[in-house]
This record gives sequence, C-alpha cells and structure tokens, in this order.
Amino acid sequence: MAVPVPVRVGVFALAVMGGYTWYANSIPQIESKPPEELSLEGGNVTPQQLVAAGEQVFRGKGQCTTCHGIGRAGRGPDLAGVGARAASRKPGMKAAAYLVESLLTPSAFVVPGFPNIMPVITKPPIGLNRSEVWATVAFLESQGGTVDVKLDDVPPIAGAQAGGGAAALELPGDPKAGQAVFTGKAGCIACHKAGAIGASPVGPDLSNIAGSQPPEYIMGKILDPASKGTVSGFPAGVMPKDFGQRLTAREYIDLLSFLFTLKSGGGAGAATAAAPAAPKP
Amino acid sequence: MSLVRRCPRWLPPSLLAAAAVVLAASPGAAQEAAREPAYRAFPYLGSRLAIWAVAQIHLNFAAFILGVPIFAVIIEFMGWRIGQDREEGRRYDWLSHEFVKLTFAAFSTTALLGGFLLFLLITLYPRFWAFMSSIFAPTMWLYAGLFFLETFAVYLWYYGWDWLSGPRKGLHVALGVLANLLGTSILLVSNSWVTFMMSPAGVDENGKFTGTLWQAVHNFTWMPVNIHRLIANIVFGGTIAGAYAAFRFLGARSDEERARYDWMGYVGNFVAVSALMVLPFAGYWLGFEIYGFNQTMGITMMGGFMSWLWIVQAILIGVLFLGSNYYLWLGMERIPGAERFRPWIKFLLLVIALGFMVWATPRSLIVSLGEVRAMGGTDHRFLRFFGVMSAKNTAVNLMILTTFLSYLLYRRANREPTVSWARTGMALQWLAFALAAAAVVGLGVGGYFVEAIVRIRRFSPLQVLAVLGCIVTVMAIDIPMFRNARSTGAIRWGSIAPRSQYVLILLAVTFTWLMGLMGFARSGIRQHWHIYGVMQDRSPDAVTPALGYAANVITTVTIVFFLMVMFIFWLGGLGERGHAPAGAAAREPEPLPIAGGSQPRRPGGAA
Repeated sequence: MAVPVPVRVGVFALAVMGGYTWYANSIPQIESKPPEELSLEGGNVTPQQLVAAGEQVFRGKGQCTTCHGIGRAGRGPDLAGVGARAASRKPGMKAAAYLVESLLTPSAFVVPGFPNIMPVITKPPIGLNRSEVWATVAFLESQGGTVDVKLDDVPPIAGAQAGGGAAALELPGDPKAGQAVFTGKAGCIACHKAGAIGASPVGPDLSNIAGSQPPEYIMGKILDPASKGTVSGFPAGVMPKDFGQRLTAREYIDLLSFLFTLKSGGGAGAATAAAPAAPKP
Repeated sequence: MSLVRRCPRWLPPSLLAAAAVVLAASPGAAQEAAREPAYRAFPYLGSRLAIWAVAQIHLNFAAFILGVPIFAVIIEFMGWRIGQDREEGRRYDWLSHEFVKLTFAAFSTTALLGGFLLFLLITLYPRFWAFMSSIFAPTMWLYAGLFFLETFAVYLWYYGWDWLSGPRKGLHVALGVLANLLGTSILLVSNSWVTFMMSPAGVDENGKFTGTLWQAVHNFTWMPVNIHRLIANIVFGGTIAGAYAAFRFLGARSDEERARYDWMGYVGNFVAVSALMVLPFAGYWLGFEIYGFNQTMGITMMGGFMSWLWIVQAILIGVLFLGSNYYLWLGMERIPGAERFRPWIKFLLLVIALGFMVWATPRSLIVSLGEVRAMGGTDHRFLRFFGVMSAKNTAVNLMILTTFLSYLLYRRANREPTVSWARTGMALQWLAFALAAAAVVGLGVGGYFVEAIVRIRRFSPLQVLAVLGCIVTVMAIDIPMFRNARSTGAIRWGSIAPRSQYVLILLAVTFTWLMGLMGFARSGIRQHWHIYGVMQDRSPDAVTPALGYAANVITTVTIVFFLMVMFIFWLGGLGERGHAPAGAAAREPEPLPIAGGSQPRRPGGAA
C-alpha cells in the first residue's frame, strides 16, 4: 500500500529537523547566566580571598576570557606575567595603578600590536562594581607580581550598577526616620557601620552600599538575606531573617531611603537608588 | 451577497491587531503599565518561552506574507511585459496569482499572531513595554496605519486581478508594487523596535532616553537588519512556495498537473537561490555593524558562549547551498542537451563541499580541558588557518560563484548560441569567472597578512564586489548571446525525479529552522538585557539558554508553523472546491518556458 504523500513529506521533514536538533544537543551546552554581584567593601578580606574572588570575576562576569588568555594569545594580550609587567608599562605608574587604569580607561594605553577594542568594564553591559574591579586587579597582580592593591586605589565608580530599568528608583520614605530604624528598632548598628554612624566590624561596612549595590540587592538582603549570598570574609547566617515580620512597611521604606543615601562622597539626601549606566552607542 | 460575506476573511483580525497596537501604544496605557509589576508569569510555559514561541511563529508568517508578494509582483510584471495575449504571459500571470493566493491565506493568521504577541508583551513584561512605548509610540501608530493601508492594497490587488486586467494591467502591477512598498515599510518600522533592543541609541549615561525618535529608530543595526530581513524574506517565501509546489507535485494525478507544479517549484527555487546568493553579504554587513556598535557584543556573538551556534548555522547554510545546486543538477536531467554539462557537476560539487567544510571549521570555541590537551592547544594547529574569517569569506564567495555557475549551465542546458560572436562571448565569460575567483582567493590569502581592520574594511568588500561584478558581467553577455538561440529540445516539465521535490521540502524546512536559529542568535546576544546596556532582565527567565534547549524550541516552533501552514492551505483548497471551477480553469494556462527558453511538455504528449 502506498504511503500517503502528507505522511511521507511529514516524516521526511521531521527527520530533517530531528537531525538538526540532535546535532545541536550533542555539542557542548553553554548557558549564559546573569552575573551575581560581588561585595567586598567593609570586609576583612585576605589577599588570597581577594585573588580568588578576582579570578571568579575574570572568568565570569568580567568576560575577560573572551579576549584574554593566561599562557596563550587571544584578541587581547596574553596576561601571563602581567602582574610583573604592569609596573613597567608606563613610567612612574605602579602596577596596581596601571591595571586599574587599563580596566577603567582602557584606551589610555593600548599594548602595541593589539587593536583598541577593550571596553570600559565598569560600564554596561559588563558593569563591574568597585569591589569587582578591586578583586580583578588583585587577581591580575597575582600573575607574577605582588598583590598590594587597596580598595582606595579604585576610585568610586558613579552609577556602577547598570540596568535598573532605565530610571532611578525613588522611594517615598524619610531617610532620617530610616536612620532611626537603623540605630533603633532594626538594630543594624550592632553589626554594621554606616558612614559616621556605628563602628561594629561584625558585618560589612555599609558606608557606600548604595554606590556599590543595586536597589534590588539592598531590598532583598533585608527581607531574605540568604537569597543574596554572604559577603566574602564574613560568616554566613548571621543576618536576621525576620525583618519582613518585625518591620512595618513604613519602617522598611524609611530604612531603604536611608540606605540609599549611603554613597562614598554623598550625604543624606534624596532617597534615590544608584542610577543605571548606559553605554554610548 | 451581503456585506459580511464580501468582507475578506483576514480583514477583521488585521484591523483588530492594528487597533490593539494603537491602544497599547497610547501614553495612558504606558502610564498604567509603569505602575504594574515588572514581570508576570505565564502558566506552565513561563513568560520567556511563551513570548519566544509566539514571536517566532509570527515572524515566520510575517516573513512569508512579506516575501512572497515581492516575487509575485516581479512575476506578474514579467507576464505583463510578455503580454497577456501570449500563452507564456498568461502563465506568469497565473503563477503570480497562485503565489498571492498563498499569501492571502496566511494574512489573517499573521495578524492574529501579531496581536497575541502584543498582548503577551503588555501583560508579561509591562515595565519593558512601558519603556519601549514611551519612546516608540508614534512609530506604533504609524505601524497600525501602514497595516491598514497594506491590508487594503493587498485586498484590492488580489480581488482586482480580473477587474484590472487587459489595458488596465499596468495599474494592477502598480498596485502590487504599492502593496509591497507598504509591506516593506511595516518591516522597517517593526525592525526599529527590535534593533533598538540590540543597539540602543539616544540613551544617556543614566539609562534615560534623551535622544530623538529618529535617533532611536536609526540605530546601529536598523538598516543592516532591514536589508538582511528583506532578502531573507524573499528566500523564505521562495522556499515555502517551492515546498508547496513540491507537495502538490508529489500528490499530482495527471501529467499536466505535475508539469505545472514542477515549473512552479522551479520558479520558487530560482527566486530563493537568487536571493540566497546575496544573503551572506547582508549578514556580513550586519555583523560588521554589531561590532561597530559594541565590541563586547560582537565578540560574545562570534567567540563567546554563542560560538558553537555558528557551526550549526554553517551546516544549515551548507545544506541550503548543496540542496539548491543538487536541485538544479537534477533539473538538468529533464532538459535535452544538458548531458554535455554532466561531467562538470563533480567539480562543482567538490568546490561546494570544500567551501562547506571550511565554513564549518571553528576558530575559537569554548572547549574542555581534555579537548585542549588532545589538540595540543586551544586551536588546532592546522585547521585553525581555516577557522578565521579570511578563509570563511573566501569559501562562501567561491560557493556563491559555483552556485551561479550551476544556474548558468542550467540556463543554457538546451540552448546553443547562434550569434557570430558566441566564442568571444564565452571566452569573456570564463575570463570573468577566472578573474573573480582569482580575486577572491588572492584577497583571501592576503587577508592573513594584514590587520583585521584592513581585511574587514577593504578586502572583504572587494571580494564581494568581485563576485557581484562577475555575475553582472556574465549575465550582460549571456542574455544577448542566447537571444534567438538554437534549441536542442524542450524542457520536459513534470519528468523530474521525485527526489528533487524532497530537496525543495528540505530547503524550506532548513531555511525555516535557520530563521529560528538566527532569531535566537539575534535575541541571545543581548544575554541578560532586555535593552542592551540599558534595561536589565531581572526576571527568573534572565538566563540565556544553551543551544540544545534552543534547538528543541526551534524544532517545536517549526513543526507548529508547518502544521498551521498546511491547515491554512487545506482550508484554501476547501474554498476552491466549493467554487465553480470554470474561472480557475480559464486562469490556468499550460506550462510554458521560463529561464531555459524552451517549450514545456504539452499535456498528454511528448516534448
């Protein structure tokens, strides 16, 4: 019995698509996950921890391996031994300063023989924050050099957190009332320093929290600390999990409004979260 | 006949979709959306998958209804110039009408899917939609207006076929041109939205839109995507029309029917291949502009997590080139006199196969440690020379030249020139081929020894110019040289091997799948950004999936698309059966020659 034409054509088409699908499933499967924020400011971070965090940024969020290898040439220079080389790239400039400049202002010095294609890594789409730049420089220094970079070597980065939805987040809260919540009912001051307030080393220093973390991170960290991970160098599970039950909505908004004023070089003012940055097309 | 019955079946959904665009783009709706949560979840499938599937099916249909009319009007124009008093002219006219009929049936589904996609975007991604509509609202109103105009133009074009015939045929062709211009305008408007998501313009450091509407529209990738999609739509329309003809050929009950659909399949494939040959050039330009906009995006696309995708793409393109050429070679077997070209085919096959292999050679892939050890490095010590763009550009240009040569042999298969300067003409043609091939290879080799910027800005465009120059020169000689040529026999339409029809189906399935893959690539290179560098995707679906998952989605979507197309065609067939066949029979002339310039087989008789 002859097989009907629609069946023959259908089976043929399915076989063709099946072949393509099988092949696409048989090759390496690589997902692209949204990068996680790394926060090290205010933490007691050892050089080893810093280098480890930097390597994570280098191979992950920083997307450095797209162009750079360690021990092999790529679109960009081979970074093996860059920690030792960096100090001699520009006369009078130390290794840390040169590496920070190469990340924040890559076109300031382009290694001869390579195209000027390095993006500013604090800008979107990569958008590293200050902690991540610090850690990345430490990792690069560890490639044949001495890890001596300090957080202060990395200038505060305006608008480091990109992608907030194309508009600054404005809250109807009162920062002064929020400060009272911080020092009073919530008891944050028992563990955190916040600018001129507090001095406890138990938890991370929050003096620049709004300059280094997006609003979602700060909001989530208060309501569900585990969902945002633990800052490197601090013990896990210390942050209370019940602020969502203990604070009223008013107190929560006021607290956020206060935290959003905590930026290096900025004082208490409008409760506006870090604005997203955008690349120049 | 009542007004309701006179109303075309696709008109209400089209108007509904257009009205939905207008309402959704209004500032009031945008403000409402801004107060909404950023994301909502679609049950079972998830928001991303729901949007992805509906968008891709909608795009497939949209490509079909925009691509098919372009060559339908070209064919109608040819039939008009040949003359409606000649059988050949009537035959072209019939074919054009058949193609528009296919488009017509798919119109309402396209509009409904567009409306569905719009509602999904508004309900699942309200904040994103509010931001987009705050910038693009005027273009959304324009889009709706163009939709109205195109709807009426196509309506008039299809239903006015007999009314605007005879001395008014020119007006009818002009109507077809107008419908295509409106359709292309719709494409340009909607492309501005998706390209803004890829390469936003007019946005300041804080992610606020401070530019003009024109800046947002005329972003880095807008024009390259316009050109790329326009050409791809023609290829797509051609392959789908070819597959439709193949389906009808395989189910044909008479020689006459078989001959007619053999010819239709040939024309569909001819149009598809003609457009396919220039598609890589448009793709290259698009890639060039992506790098121009943002190096990181370009490098992520070609050398980052998406690098394997281009290997799959190379396989699909290879299948398209091989399939198109194989169809032409099979077609030559139904042409008396084509035997003299048979020995050439193995060489043509060799060039295409080698080109395919070079194109499919990866350069920088993400490999495992074991693979690195096995190769002795991250790149293979020998094959890496074929993985770079210099080799790939050379390969694809040679494949295009070879495909053109295949077509040229097909075109002259049953003809021998009678002009006195035929020998000189042939020599000049071969010289053009030799010079173009030498230029392509020479520039390709030279590309290894110059900086990338020289290769990209000078060598690659010169390769393209060499190939296009060869095609123009050869055809400029060929057309007058084969005028009044001696025929060695008529093409035996309908006698082609049935496996050739499966090649047409293979081409349609492969190109549809390729469109899905390229849709994933275009969207995926934004990674976790709704609007690259401006609005981050913070939804649970922000992960860009791996290629295997994408392939599963693409295959499912392609199956659904073909099932819907078959259902629509079946419905169209039901409609035909319900009407008096007299008109249709009068419209369907006997097979007539096209490119080969020979006569088709007469019904019931030998060639």
